[in-house]
Amino acid sequence: MIDINGIGWITGKKYGCVVKALSRPFPQRKSIHAQLSGEGVFSYPVKNFGRFDRVSKMTCCALGLAIYDAGIIYAEGQKQDIGLLGTNEAGALSSNIAYFKDYVESGRTLARGNLFIYTLPSSPLAEAAIHFGCQGPVIYMGFQHRAIPSLLSYAKGMLLGEKVQKVLAVKADEEEALCFFLQEGGAEPPGKGFGFDTIEAIAGQASNIDQIIEGAQKAPLKIQKAPLKKKETR
Amino acid sequence: MPHLAPLTPSLSPQGKGRYRKAVAVACDLVTPYGWGVHACWQGLLSGQSAIRPLDRFSTRHFLTDKAATIPDLKAGPGESFVMNMLIPLLSKASDLGLIPDDSLLILATTTGEIDFLEQSVLRGTQGTAKESRLDCLLAKVVHWSGVVTRSKSRNMPLIVSAACVSSSAAIAQAASLIRNGEQDCLLVVACDSVSEFVMAGFSTLMALDKDMARPFDRDRKGLSLGEAAGFILLMSEERAMREERPIIGEIAGWGMTGDANHMTGPCRDGCGLALAVEKALQSASIPESAVGSISAHGTGTVYNDAMEMKAFKKAFQNRAIPTYSIKGGTGHTMGAAGLLEVIVAFQALKEKMIPPTVNMRCVDEEAKGWVFSQPHSLDGTVTVSTNSGFGGLNAALVLKEYRTEE
Repeated sequence: MIDINGIGWITGKKYGCVVKALSRPFPQRKSIHAQLSGEGVFSYPVKNFGRFDRVSKMTCCALGLAIYDAGIIYAEGQKQDIGLLGTNEAGALSSNIAYFKDYVESGRTLARGNLFIYTLPSSPLAEAAIHFGCQGPVIYMGFQHRAIPSLLSYAKGMLLGEKVQKVLAVKADEEEALCFFLQEGGAEPPGKGFGFDTIEAIAGQASNIDQIIEGAQKAPLKIQKAPLKKKETR
Repeated sequence: MPHLAPLTPSLSPQGKGRYRKAVAVACDLVTPYGWGVHACWQGLLSGQSAIRPLDRFSTRHFLTDKAATIPDLKAGPGESFVMNMLIPLLSKASDLGLIPDDSLLILATTTGEIDFLEQSVLRGTQGTAKESRLDCLLAKVVHWSGVVTRSKSRNMPLIVSAACVSSSAAIAQAASLIRNGEQDCLLVVACDSVSEFVMAGFSTLMALDKDMARPFDRDRKGLSLGEAAGFILLMSEERAMREERPIIGEIAGWGMTGDANHMTGPCRDGCGLALAVEKALQSASIPESAVGSISAHGTGTVYNDAMEMKAFKKAFQNRAIPTYSIKGGTGHTMGAAGLLEVIVAFQALKEKMIPPTVNMRCVDEEAKGWVFSQPHSLDGTVTVSTNSGFGGLNAALVLKEYRTEE
């Protein structure tokens, strides 16, 4: 049995978490990074956040919101057995154009390494893995249709097949992002969440991220109990 | 051919439970050594490198003027290098009736048809850069492979992109779907080409050797880029036997980890890769003592090769195992590297011989007793194949010579 214990989202001019019923407008005078740090979503500053490409920023923030929503504690230097699976509409297209355009405009003599490293669809996930200390598999998948239902399906497969304890599944584009935190039912920490099937059904019916968020916000939360501890025998 | 219901999984070697075996039943590739597995194998055995001076674009401002490209490969207007590699391979497979139309297709690549983006930026017509999107490439590969798209999420073609671990991750994903009974036939296609886009990037990161990559050499200085494309068809053992397919080998186990350390440099102590190897062996239910050879990522960079040796010594408790890298011969083929190396590893298991590590002249102290510059006999039936990539991604596959159970 798989549970989804955290859902973080960023759409248009708002961001939030579903389980914690959080919804806030984008800060006007602060960066989103500063805002989320102030709210305790980021346990410590995300190194080089200002230099991330747009998709990497969205990925990192959505993951942070999902982890925060699930009540997971993380700290600098601490590694966790969490896998990352990501998708989006355009891969690394914007970053590819930005990098190569910059190279051509500089006379095709010297490329910029800090732009080159974002020319892989997996780079935003890798940046997030570094910050959150995720040591599980890190994979970008691209789908022709039904991206979020497919993402959820493969995330479930990663949890069961790769024997990781937790999986973060994120769809992050330049303007919106949605991240799910999956773990096996009964795993620590206990808390509130949704059954995987509930969210999978909502995602299957929805035609955009807003509808998934809305559907999840209306879905009943289940309270997960702490796993029973075995009694010591003498 | 109609999709058949899952059959009873085969008994595991230990008899402890049942799991489906994922076996390779067909493969083909093109590398800088030429077309076909035989050309690549013979090229590696010869000890000659396919890394040569480049004439595809100006390298005047780059660290090196060399890379490993497919001989005579060109791309005219509207054509990409990767599709000009894949179309002949997939057409031939189709003519031979090798690929069932109910195969689930997984495409592994890092930059795909990046030449379209290059052209659009150079011409100032950036609106056409979107033709370089990976989903556009996927649609073409689906078309040329002849597979039929189905509507359910787990039956639709997909892209797997995980830096230089892409095709290993795709093969692991395919094998996992077979093992858990969700699929019984998958086609993994992988490709990447040598481009100015990529070469400029690696040059600026100072990751290229000025001459030719020398994996595990004491004086190694960096990698050489390469290009390749290929496919491997994986089936459940039951389906392979039912269709009387010749079995090339078994994908027995897999493990993937992230270093969570740095975007371009691996975790120096090799712990991430060692963990991936450990997970792969657990996945295969095979002890480390059963492994007879290692196909390493072996790019020729100072840090990667040092990290790999640390990882191997950790995972195999300092037991020296014949280890090789093919990247001194083929160059680093990026998203295609894992696929290329799996196919060569199966060939090595069949020939009971591992190829030399081409271009290694003086073995690094840490690799002594492990890596050789001559062909080396191969004992046993199990190889571990490893890859690592940008962002600290690691993958390990356990490959077995196929044997029917008694």
